[in-house]
Amino acid sequence: MIAVALALLALMLVKATPLIYAALGGVLSERSGVVNIGLEGGLVAGAFSSVVVAGATGNPVLGACAGVLAGALLAAILALAATRFGVDQIVAGTGLNFVAIGGAAYGLVVIFHQPGASREVTNLGATGSWTLVVLAFVLAALEWLFLFRTPWGLRVRACGENPRAAETAGVNALATRFWAVVTGGAIAALGGVYLSLGELDLYSDGMTAGRGYIALAAVIFGRWNPIGATGAALFFGFFAALQYTLQRSGVPSELMQALPYLAALVALGGFAGRVRAPAADGVPYVR
Amino acid sequence: MNGVDLDVRAGEIHALVGENGAGKSTLSAIAYGAVTADEGTVEAGGPVGLVHQHFQLIERLTVWENVLLHREPRRGPFVDRARARKIVRDLAARHGLAIDPDAIVETLPVGIKQRVELLRELEREPRILLLDEPTAALAPGEIDAFFATVRRLADGGTAVLVVTHKLAEVTAYSQRVTVMRAGTVVARFETARTDAAEIARAMVGGELPELAARATTLPRPRLVVRDLTAGESTGAISAVSLTVDAGEIVGIAGIEGNGQSALADALAGVLPYTGTIELDGALVPSSAGPATRIERGVRVIPQDRRHEALVLDWNVRDNAILGRQEYPPLRRGAIIDRGVADRYAKDVIERFDVRPPNPNAICDGLSGGNQQKIVVGRALAGEPKLVIAYQPTRGIDIGAATLVQSRLIEARNAGAAVLLISFELDEIFAVADRVIVLFGGRVAGTFARAELDRGRIGALMAGNA
Amino acid sequence: MRRGLRDVGLAIAIVIVIGGLAMIVAGANPIDGFGQLLDGALGNPSEIAETLVQTTALLFPALGIAFAFRAGLFNIGAEGQLILGGMAAGIIGVIVPLPAMLAIPLTLAAGAVAGGVWGGIAGFFRARFGANEVIATLMLNVIALLLATYLIGGPFKQAGATASETASLPAAAQLPGIFPDSRLTLAFPIAIALAFFLRWVFRRTVFGYELRAAGDAPEAARRAGVNLARTAFVAMAGSGAIAGLGGATIVMGMLHRFNTGLSPGYGFIGIAVALVGNLDPLGICIASFAFGVLQSGAIAMQAMANVPRDVISIVEGLVIVALAGRRVVAARRNA
Repeated sequence: MIAVALALLALMLVKATPLIYAALGGVLSERSGVVNIGLEGGLVAGAFSSVVVAGATGNPVLGACAGVLAGALLAAILALAATRFGVDQIVAGTGLNFVAIGGAAYGLVVIFHQPGASREVTNLGATGSWTLVVLAFVLAALEWLFLFRTPWGLRVRACGENPRAAETAGVNALATRFWAVVTGGAIAALGGVYLSLGELDLYSDGMTAGRGYIALAAVIFGRWNPIGATGAALFFGFFAALQYTLQRSGVPSELMQALPYLAALVALGGFAGRVRAPAADGVPYVR
Repeated sequence: MNGVDLDVRAGEIHALVGENGAGKSTLSAIAYGAVTADEGTVEAGGPVGLVHQHFQLIERLTVWENVLLHREPRRGPFVDRARARKIVRDLAARHGLAIDPDAIVETLPVGIKQRVELLRELEREPRILLLDEPTAALAPGEIDAFFATVRRLADGGTAVLVVTHKLAEVTAYSQRVTVMRAGTVVARFETARTDAAEIARAMVGGELPELAARATTLPRPRLVVRDLTAGESTGAISAVSLTVDAGEIVGIAGIEGNGQSALADALAGVLPYTGTIELDGALVPSSAGPATRIERGVRVIPQDRRHEALVLDWNVRDNAILGRQEYPPLRRGAIIDRGVADRYAKDVIERFDVRPPNPNAICDGLSGGNQQKIVVGRALAGEPKLVIAYQPTRGIDIGAATLVQSRLIEARNAGAAVLLISFELDEIFAVADRVIVLFGGRVAGTFARAELDRGRIGALMAGNA
Repeated sequence: MRRGLRDVGLAIAIVIVIGGLAMIVAGANPIDGFGQLLDGALGNPSEIAETLVQTTALLFPALGIAFAFRAGLFNIGAEGQLILGGMAAGIIGVIVPLPAMLAIPLTLAAGAVAGGVWGGIAGFFRARFGANEVIATLMLNVIALLLATYLIGGPFKQAGATASETASLPAAAQLPGIFPDSRLTLAFPIAIALAFFLRWVFRRTVFGYELRAAGDAPEAARRAGVNLARTAFVAMAGSGAIAGLGGATIVMGMLHRFNTGLSPGYGFIGIAVALVGNLDPLGICIASFAFGVLQSGAIAMQAMANVPRDVISIVEGLVIVALAGRRVVAARRNA
């Protein structure tokens, strides 16, 4: 019985880790005022690039670094569009996801010469994987300290509430938003690295399975707070773990697979109306 | 703006006046350095501080976070919160402005918010201070104290430029006055050697336009409000009772933030409330939304035309019919009758002198005054039973403002009940039959036109009996 | 109008530049690649017919997405609504034996209703709880596919069907073809007619006026008597119904059965189409054709010039980013 509970707990952590990374990236971005729907794309970018570099160099840590860099570069597209051009962030983020998913599929053919999945590469191994799991929680604490106890975090929050007012105080709202989004994308990509090099040892089409979107729900559910979002990610991770454990019961597998998404939907309906996002979240700031 | 020369000396309070749209705010933005001029230079003999007309505060952060944003005291990589609080407390004490550093700005009354705004600029020890419409949120009694603080700063060597349209303050507190009109400087005065009337004539470029005459009417009750309670925290109203007769203008006087928005929104049907509202003797249920109220003859001129009244991307015609689209003859079955829409639009454009007089012009391109004319024009079209006018002349030039006020009087003459909510006491005094003072969300006093007493009303507005 | 043309120019530039670059990296000759693309899409009448088939498949979800966009809502869930619409048509068409005159409208209606219900769920969440419809529809997309897989593999499993598709539709429930030796059916004129209908709704009707007001200035609309919650619900449900109708036409016209893989992402590409078409029904018709060329030409491009089809996805994604524009989806947050 204890063994089952421990196994479930471990599985929950495994399932929650990519969600935590993506949610932390989302919190940082949204706290600065930019909604990043492209978290899913960040996961894809991290998952794919890390496999490519790990495959090419045989070094999974280098792969992880590549994944982080890819996430940052992808997010930079959104960051540029949102700050320099003031476009609708949600629409742009959606486009970003297509770019990432299409780019990965394209890369599978061009780099690995086979559609659908890459070949197997050296992954992070058990130590590396669990390091990433622990790192997620460490990062959550660091992000909290950053946002609520440091001067730069204060400026990020100011931009997310009222960028015009922040600028009158001397803060460069556009630059702050840019770097928050790029850093958020880099953090989210670590979740993708975990998926491909931590849990498995390859990249396959569709492996992110909408986790980036669940992470968005976790950001809201967690009230745009890194600790809260981590808790929400654990909550959704629990449902994903449950699905695995119940797989051999009589419940149809599709219903089980839908559990995390249903949970996110219900959470959204139950809580969404009563929480307040940062006041300028999603609102383009144009000088 | 064209070829403007202006100088402000250390130790002086210099007033910059002009109508809305004359260029005053643009000039102060250029002086601050936020906006670059196309031609010409700005020389500042020291750091410049600017207190904006619309507060640039971050509502959900604390006072100290707002005051010290971008200049936070540090301890290692972290913010030294204890030192931050001390800095703010000391700064406030030094200038005689009491404040709680940990208060969240959102929870503060408007007058205190302005203190935070001022403190933020003072923390940077400016040699030059620009104040843009600084007394908009102050009660008549508080204005003295405010200018006393400003005088102290000036005595300490700061050069102060006050941008304002309140001539009483100009004559009472400034040393020199510069008047702008349509983007150029048209007059300069030594305050001691001129008076409000001369300054006003320079602002307008001639005599002031005339207000419409008030006809004698036979008032009978139309709007009866009993125990109206609505809204939350600061800005809520509590047990407000009042009546407005058909053929009467009732002015609601008060400083911004004392419940005016809650009152307007409850009457308009966009804010839930308890208490009763009766129109011509029949109850308006609190569940009745704006559509029902429009049907019963209620028309609202909202406070914020850009966000609450107009669809800026649409043309004049489509904006002129907004609010009436559900009713025949504009509505013909499922569609909107184009001929009727054209007629409605022309009616508003002509009666209210909207420029350019083109129904296809996009609203975003119109001046504030013309945009407001559309909003007022469509509210007064047909024969409304009750007009709720909330800051109907906000941010528009004197010519347009006088036109709007005249049309409101004409609506009153024709039998409408008009509730005028305004932050400008002069406007209320010019137009209202009765004045009700709102303070802290409650009715603080009622005055008939014959009894209007600026001193007493000002005291009630500040919360003193 | 000028902004619309500039956007189209930008889209074309992205297709050529990014598409060309991606082709070079993949080791192909861009001129060859684009040549094969255009030839495969427009080379001969039957290829043009197939391009029009792809155009139709894109036109429905794009119109649906634009319908919601005009109300200030972002329906990312068109893909899921399309899938469920197709599933409903696939099931009803097989189960209910009726002559063509009745079977076709009924089956189409089934698709529209299924899509409308799915869109309405998100609309309900938005109207009642102020929940973000973007995240809601993203969740519903995934759930839709799982639901469809479950239903046709389980309770609605039909004789002669595999796990991921229904049985073949009887001839009475299939849309009549309008061009010999092609998959082009009545669906195409139906889609065009729908575009004209929506254009009329936007420009002339009271409902369309209020919908646009809710999208362009929600606070002003509210004070002018527009019921924002109801408008949000109707916009999402209507949007879903149009997408569901599209799914039904794919099943009834293109495939003659429902298959969980019936859409290569029409519901998502529809977002790009709606934006390039500037949210105007007629513009969307033209944009659908342009993207239809990309879709149908991509297959030839892959086969003949060795360029992976996913180049198209990358290009479409960048078009969406570039055309996200200043049209801010209104009051997205919990309002």
